[in-house]
Amino acid sequence: MYRRRSVVLAALLLAGLFTSAPLFAQGNKEGSGMPKVGDVAPDFTLKYFDGSDEKEVKLSDYRGKKNVVLAFYIFAFTGG
Amino acid sequence: MQNFQQNLKALEAADTQVLGVSMDSPFANKAFADQIGVTFPLLSDWGGKVTREYGIYKDEYQAPRRVNFLIGKDGKIMEEQVDRDAIDPKKIVDACQRPKMKS
Repeated sequence: MYRRRSVVLAALLLAGLFTSAPLFAQGNKEGSGMPKVGDVAPDFTLKYFDGSDEKEVKLSDYRGKKNVVLAFYIFAFTGG
Repeated sequence: MQNFQQNLKALEAADTQVLGVSMDSPFANKAFADQIGVTFPLLSDWGGKVTREYGIYKDEYQAPRRVNFLIGKDGKIMEEQVDRDAIDPKKIVDACQRPKMKS
């Protein structure tokens, strides 16, 4: 009786392991969509307001001219 | 952002343009820049398209994660700093000053 129970338990544990594996994989996935060092940075055109006008910045305009630091931050009016 | 502002002279001397990016509106970002004394552009990724393209949209915040990318003149990514590491720009400033980045 005990043996049978332990077999069932082991089977349940194994099943749990397999079904939770994709969850772990998902957890690790965060950030995996980021371009890697050495990749070409995805181009974009974004706007900013300089005080009088809305201006556009295109990343590829800096190609061959300047290095660019892209500093993503979570929200305006927060630290960091 | 203030950390980059404090290092802006060194970065500019190393031929480096600093661009902040968030999903706030251009006007909120301008007000934010004025409040904290930032003189480089804070770009508005309204809707988050670019944030998603860079793989750093975080559902929990409904906003980007805190990430810095240093992009060389060839358009390739030279350095990445994520979350807590992204607060100290020293690594980026040092990288910009490496000889190959100046050419």
